[in-house]
Amino acid sequence: MLGASAARIGRRDLLRIALGADPRERTDTVLVTVFLGGGADGLHLVAPYAEPRYQVLRPNLGLRAPDDARAPLDRRALDLDGRFGLHPRLAPLLPAWRAGELAIVHAVGSDDETRSHFEATDRMEHAGAKDQPAADGWLARHLRTRPGASVGALSAVAIATAVPESLRGAPSMSAVESISDYRLGGGSACGAFAGALASLYARPSRRSAVPERLGAAGRQTLRLLERLATVPVAAPGVGYPDHAFGRALAQVARLVAAVPSLEVAAVNLGNWDSHFVQDGFVPDLMDVLARGLAAFRADLGEDLARVEVIVMTEFGRRAYENGSFGTDHGRGSVMLALGGGVAGGRVVTDWPGLDEDRLVPPGDLAVTIDYRDVLAELVGRRLGNPHVDSVFPGFVPTLRGIWR
Amino acid sequence: MTERRDVLRLGGAAFGAAALAGCDGFWSRVSWALGADVPERLEAPRNADPDPARHLLDRAGFGPWPGDVERVRRIGEAAWIEEQLDPNSIDDAACEVRTARIDSIHVPARAAFAWRPEVLEEQLVAFTLLQAIYSRRQLQEVMVHFWSDHFNVAIGKSLCRQLKTTDDREVIRPHALGGFRHLLRASALSPAMLVYLDGRANRAATTGGKPNENYARELLELHTLGVNGGYSQRDVMEAARCLTGWTVREGWTAGSVAFDPLAHDPGEKVVLGRTIPAGGGEADLDRLIDVVVDHPSCSRFLARKLCRFFVADEPPPGLVDATAGELARTGGEIAIALRTILLSDAFRASAGKKLKRPFRFVVSALRALGADVTGREGVPAALVSMGQAPFHHPTPDGYPEHAEPWLGTLLFRWNFALALVEGRLPGASVDLPRLSRALGAEPGRDAALALTRHLLGREPDDDETNVVLAYLETAEWREHPERAVALVLSSPGFQSC
Repeated sequence: MLGASAARIGRRDLLRIALGADPRERTDTVLVTVFLGGGADGLHLVAPYAEPRYQVLRPNLGLRAPDDARAPLDRRALDLDGRFGLHPRLAPLLPAWRAGELAIVHAVGSDDETRSHFEATDRMEHAGAKDQPAADGWLARHLRTRPGASVGALSAVAIATAVPESLRGAPSMSAVESISDYRLGGGSACGAFAGALASLYARPSRRSAVPERLGAAGRQTLRLLERLATVPVAAPGVGYPDHAFGRALAQVARLVAAVPSLEVAAVNLGNWDSHFVQDGFVPDLMDVLARGLAAFRADLGEDLARVEVIVMTEFGRRAYENGSFGTDHGRGSVMLALGGGVAGGRVVTDWPGLDEDRLVPPGDLAVTIDYRDVLAELVGRRLGNPHVDSVFPGFVPTLRGIWR
Repeated sequence: MTERRDVLRLGGAAFGAAALAGCDGFWSRVSWALGADVPERLEAPRNADPDPARHLLDRAGFGPWPGDVERVRRIGEAAWIEEQLDPNSIDDAACEVRTARIDSIHVPARAAFAWRPEVLEEQLVAFTLLQAIYSRRQLQEVMVHFWSDHFNVAIGKSLCRQLKTTDDREVIRPHALGGFRHLLRASALSPAMLVYLDGRANRAATTGGKPNENYARELLELHTLGVNGGYSQRDVMEAARCLTGWTVREGWTAGSVAFDPLAHDPGEKVVLGRTIPAGGGEADLDRLIDVVVDHPSCSRFLARKLCRFFVADEPPPGLVDATAGELARTGGEIAIALRTILLSDAFRASAGKKLKRPFRFVVSALRALGADVTGREGVPAALVSMGQAPFHHPTPDGYPEHAEPWLGTLLFRWNFALALVEGRLPGASVDLPRLSRALGAEPGRDAALALTRHLLGREPDDDETNVVLAYLETAEWREHPERAVALVLSSPGFQSC
């Protein structure tokens, strides 16, 4: 195919010949994890407004009932199901909720009782068992055990400065601060170089025993570079928040559109550690979260059907406010599931209640759904990985029916 | 057509021959003077097929330094292997000059706690890279690399960043070509391993402590017998009982290893059907090691792993059997197993059939070009981007050896090659004009083709020749003549060995 005439064929033609060789493979579902670092307050994000004890525990921070005419609008919960209501700054999530694409899991968390950010985050991202800690991440184990052994270029990506622990040990994992890091060369044009690589990887030397796999990997990488260079940053008018989280989600949307081999993307939104005057900054974070996810949903358009977003945090916060209008480290919190396969429009919970005897010392919302129940259902049912027991060793999940 | 100004570029200083600056530059000149230089005259290979000398250097070393292939051809492969199996017979002064100022690698475990952990890591990684690139004891370095995966310690865990330096110096390096039994014993008592796999927390149930099976399980599964090596959960528990009481001290003697008889289980143990009598105390460790090393699964497991590393991802069963036989006969002499493998027909026939992992790719590129490297900044960062940062594999099984998991790293290999030749890789520089002159090539196109042959260790095949020639016709090449070298480093032919 590329014999002695190669020198006379133009570079673009070479590239096209080389790239056209492979059938395009696309993963069925792309998983996007959003980690809310710092311990996000589930009772603030999704308020159990109908619970009488809630107002007692949260005299300053608590949201009022949606129909409480005495309260200002920015203190009234947005009703979800007559029991729970969203914080008003999460309003951009309502369209997804009404479309049945968003489910909320409440009183969810880890059986690990540590209230150290580092340990709790580490253990949750590793997702080992209490007496059987894991050194690698649950996403890595999923990628290693899911059916089909081949690993594409950029199959797992974190929009971050460092590898998140959930992806520790993943095959072909990239941590990039920006997709623009994923390019050839140091800035000056490399078109002819890429064209020459395309020819070399079109037909690797017969002397190599890994030629076919190596050739395919090279062609896939070059195709990826071409696609990334042409896909627009975000659909016009989509309106991501001007925040690192918004930019990260915009890049993930771009990857979903451009990278057929993409399986997992991890982003994070930190700073939820609200010991002091929580209302001074947490509502702004909620706004970034909600507008970001809403823009992501709009940006994906039809691609949402093959994307699942899971939002999680290392632990919730104390049920009662502290003396400085904040909350301290607690246990149960919320998880959000947004995507094409979600059986949404529901708050999935085994609600433990907020009465004194229902809180766990020293006064935290009890964990009644293990976070691994949610992740295991996602991995097993939605991502079709039969090896859930390897992804979550030593854990027997309970199906909660979050995905269809 | 190559124009006059291009000739000047390829032949002159404009070709990105930026040398290392300051102190690093001085010591690198000393190292050159001690004989680590690129030879005055080199022969660009003319053979169409892979050359056995090159193949040996690619696998039993991290690829040839300029001039190495000629030397192996001169003395013969067997003589080179014998020399490499006796590393102390090889003068390594030029390498020692480069590593002499890395002071933390000499620090004993207890003193390591006075150092910032990040500094210890940076220095250990730099030392590892400089040894791999510049040491003439190449087989020793390759085996250090092998055992660092086999006895993996992920330095992100707990105190391992402080303790891995000692593990490298006192466990891996001294025993890399020695007896497996001694290596295993040293690893069992390595403070880094006792911390990494929780051996220090393994205390006898008989005295109210809590046993921890983590190390005992990996000792059987990953270090000696293999997952299907014929041991049971019962054997894991019995092995853990043998090892109770070994711990790592804290406080001002932090990092030193101690045996606490009160935390040791004094009873009789039965491991793999062999009885270890009661009251053995700290000698239980040696008995346990004898039991596992003498088990037939151990020789087979090690033989298979060595053959996979040196020969093929799916090694030929005949060679595995022969190697296992030698290991069993000698009680685990590593050098004898290596001689069996490297002199075999299967080894000779395997040229070009393995994908280089990122570490081998990077080190072999730097060696082939006779690069000047500090071991800090750009080179370790490139390994991070390719997913093979030294000592960072999170699980005890070490970085995988087979090709599949590494196929997604090509972009980062290409970017490394481009940055290296364009002088954009901090802490590394190459002098391409000098190498071209040594190859006797006219600057320009001739130099590009000579360097292609030099890097591939053979004549490029027709496809490769056509691609390189086509690239030399582009305006981009005229702007960046050094990129012809990056193209060869990025080609499929340089990814495998």
